[in-house]
Amino acid sequence: MKAMRYLLLIALILALPVGLWAAGSREAQASGPVKIVYWRSLTGVAGEAQDELVKRFNASQDRVIVEAQFQGAYAELNQKLLAGLAAGAVPDVVLLDSPFVALFAKDGVLAPLDAFVRSDRSGFKLADFIPGLLQDGYHENKLYALPFMRSTPLLYYNREMFREAGLPDRAPRTWDEFRDFSRRLTVVSGGETTRFGAAFTTSTTTAHWYFQAAVYAYGGLVSDEKFNVKLTEAPALAAATLWQDMVFKDKTAFGSLDPHTEFLNRRVGMVFGSTGSMGNLFSRATFPVAAGFMPGQVKNLVPVGGAVLAVTSTDKNRQAAAWEFIKYMTNADSQAYLVPRTGYMPNSQSSINHPEVVAYFSQYPERKVAIDQLVHTRPQASVISLGKGTELLRQLVEKLLVGNVAPARALAEAKADLEKEYNETYK
Amino acid sequence: MGVIGRKAVGSRDLIARFLTHAALVFAAAVIGLPFLWMLTTALKSPAEVYIFPPVWWPSELRLDNFATAWRSAPFGRFYVNSIVTATSGVALEIAVAALSAYAFARIKFRYRDQLFIVLLAAMMIPGQVALIPNYVVLKHLGWINTYRGIVIPHVSSVFGAFLLRQYFLTIPESLYDAAEIDGMGHFKTLFFIALPLARPVVGTLALYLFISKWNSYLWPLIVTNTQNMRTLPVGLAMLRQAEYAIGPEHLMAASIFVLVPVLVVFFIAQKQLIEGIAAGAVKG
Amino acid sequence: MAKRAQLVHGSADKTRKRLSSREKRDAAAFIGFTFPNFLLLGVFVFWPIIYSLYLSFFRWNMIAPRKTFIGLANYRTMIGDAVFWQSMRNTLVLAAAVVVVKIGIALFLATLLNRKMRMRGAYRAIIFSPTFTTSVAIAMVWGWIFDPNFGLLRVFINAVGLRSPNWLGDVQWALPAIIIVVIWSGVGYDMVIFLAGLTNISQEYYDAAQVDGATPWQCFWRITVPLLSPTTFFLTIVSVIGALKAFDIVAIMTEGGPLNSTNVIVYYIYQNAFQWFKTGYASALAVVLFAIIMIITLAQTRLSKRWVHY
Repeated sequence: MKAMRYLLLIALILALPVGLWAAGSREAQASGPVKIVYWRSLTGVAGEAQDELVKRFNASQDRVIVEAQFQGAYAELNQKLLAGLAAGAVPDVVLLDSPFVALFAKDGVLAPLDAFVRSDRSGFKLADFIPGLLQDGYHENKLYALPFMRSTPLLYYNREMFREAGLPDRAPRTWDEFRDFSRRLTVVSGGETTRFGAAFTTSTTTAHWYFQAAVYAYGGLVSDEKFNVKLTEAPALAAATLWQDMVFKDKTAFGSLDPHTEFLNRRVGMVFGSTGSMGNLFSRATFPVAAGFMPGQVKNLVPVGGAVLAVTSTDKNRQAAAWEFIKYMTNADSQAYLVPRTGYMPNSQSSINHPEVVAYFSQYPERKVAIDQLVHTRPQASVISLGKGTELLRQLVEKLLVGNVAPARALAEAKADLEKEYNETYK
Repeated sequence: MGVIGRKAVGSRDLIARFLTHAALVFAAAVIGLPFLWMLTTALKSPAEVYIFPPVWWPSELRLDNFATAWRSAPFGRFYVNSIVTATSGVALEIAVAALSAYAFARIKFRYRDQLFIVLLAAMMIPGQVALIPNYVVLKHLGWINTYRGIVIPHVSSVFGAFLLRQYFLTIPESLYDAAEIDGMGHFKTLFFIALPLARPVVGTLALYLFISKWNSYLWPLIVTNTQNMRTLPVGLAMLRQAEYAIGPEHLMAASIFVLVPVLVVFFIAQKQLIEGIAAGAVKG
Repeated sequence: MAKRAQLVHGSADKTRKRLSSREKRDAAAFIGFTFPNFLLLGVFVFWPIIYSLYLSFFRWNMIAPRKTFIGLANYRTMIGDAVFWQSMRNTLVLAAAVVVVKIGIALFLATLLNRKMRMRGAYRAIIFSPTFTTSVAIAMVWGWIFDPNFGLLRVFINAVGLRSPNWLGDVQWALPAIIIVVIWSGVGYDMVIFLAGLTNISQEYYDAAQVDGATPWQCFWRITVPLLSPTTFFLTIVSVIGALKAFDIVAIMTEGGPLNSTNVIVYYIYQNAFQWFKTGYASALAVVLFAIIMIITLAQTRLSKRWVHY
């Protein structure tokens, strides 16, 4: 029959690629060492450091083999994890932006680690981790993640500009002082501002983080543990008003998607950044850079950020292998490798005391701010764990700094949106 | 026309020609400048990147920007992946397109018009809408992180089938009738009559499909998990990340080695391709 | 064909028999020829739409084991969602600007190039070249060109005595910037397709018009434009769909910002599904987008019957 011939042809066409690409990437699970997959994020030194640690782990023992797979930035990794979950194809270990632990744990995606902690006989001590860094690995009193590459927000400034402007060689201590410094750093020539005092970020990854820091400094909260949104209270209003006034009244600052580039171009004197940006900013700047605490006001307190390691496999055998791996990645020796290369904060007391870390901070005392700030941290606002939480706060910052929306209104809108988001997520 | 008249026409013609060239030079400059800007930025030192007014040509050529960019990701592997997925995708899609285009143009079938509307409707569905369901299907097929997974979901053809059908319709009826008299079936008619005549159109189509497959970004990003399966746009996009930003000079350098091979292929093949269309159109 | 069959095989009875067996053969051939395409379309294009429609009645974050049925709530949310409306408006502005400006410029350039001249190949190749350029790379170089401080565009803007806007950071200017990039990258393709269409128009029409004393301007409107209408129609469809599907440039250059001034519908779907875990809502948006595109297409197809001269 004619039709048969056509169908044969079609079968041929469809079979062609299958034959062509038969060498797929699926691997047979043989006996012997357990092979697990680790999805990592971040490029540059932070990415290379992870690969090196994986290599070291594989060399250190013969029961587990880890394959590290780079998945892009945090947001892309989350996106791929979601697609994988929807399709039932997940890795064994993931590097997660810390606020997302609760989001994934809530739906049973992450394996609880408490049983592993209890039954561990290798001398692993949970108490060794810095409490402020361990805390956001918990969700409803169960441990789901270990702190790995943790960071706090810092203020970076151009020391040369500070000197020229007659400012002291230190970061501003309060937000009021920050505003004053910014004014004195600003240069206007021919009606055009050629240099600004500061740039605020409006980018997805971190805009919410620095705003949270400002609210903390004013003694407030973005939201409490019970998801009560506190944005319409005095501290948030004060912080929002100051940020907006600097942009639209003083005209000494602006909102930017990429403030670090502005900073490196000498277009602004002060920017916020993660402890993890330290390596990058110090090495790329063509002028002396210094890092200091975020401005305080009523309190010296910052929201801790950065990445944690969580286990996503469902198979017991693989979970055990994954546990061995994350234990290795978060131990003091690994941190001693990681911290000096990236600028991230050491995650435990024993890593702070590690000779290599001690040597590093004595060589670069200006980077010691990363540990000095450790005691002044608390977890991020609960609303960050909502799917749209970071985005709604980013929109708030954008409304304040780009849209010039009155602070009270912008904050009230953000509060309403966050509450709606909470209701949709939990009710 | 008298001698004077002819002269007047000649000078008017000259002005027209001048204006034409002026307009085209302007257009070419507008199109070309970004490429030049990309190139000069890629060769600059960080200090010269951040100068205004900009330096048009760097005082010292920093070729090491390319080395730095190349080292920052396995670009060689990305190349292989892009070439394999784009070319195999084009071949498959053209086969699929030619078959259905011929059917819609030449084979009588009771529900043909209805099916054609179904086909056109498919053109209207944005691929992004299908992201999650497609991923689930691929998972069931075991195609995640394979070339098949990158290619197969996008070889169904609407645009190509539409284009080729339009062309097949313009082929004179007499040619098809002659084929029928010679005892050719539909399959032979497609391969020996319709497709050879449509060569220029197939050429354009292949070019267009190659571009869109080479450039596709979102789907390969979703469907690949490992560096060794990623395509060039995905690899390039991953270079730019806020927290560990490499400089514009490195981004431009990386962009250049993503672009250069295709631009070279294009500038070699463009004459045949574009003029092939014209020649084929005149013949048809 | 029937006519020929009659000529070849004399009697009417024979013809009828032959036709019916032929009809069967044709039906088999038709199904066979179109089967691969419809199989692929079914699995990778139509099934997702049905699945999206199903998901649009649920609240689901893609990972929770259970989906919550919420009826039409996602659609009701959409009506009150200012960002949705803004992204719709941006999408339509983009589509309109791209269709009118890009196709207009492309036609202009094509008519300029449609003659024997020096440098013709070079012009054509240069203007076409962005078509070949990876959108990720395009977005990167243009992001750098639009840089308000060190960007190339600032040179030209300052040269005419104006101050450069903060393109991608300014609510007013970000969408125009995206439009510029989309036009820049697409005009060459349209031009080449027009050129192919132009060479299809017989010189005889122009010769005849010239004999009748028509000006070049008249020739353009009376001959070129009507005879090019199938090409124009084709390019309009392709451009509108391209605009409605715009994603890469927006994702890389602006992430939809600032303040959603460049958010387009597909990017908003992507944000909802993959950044905010709102699979149900994203599916509802996808369904609406799908419906809009269907309506536009049907309208276009209807209209084309009126003004396209095949």
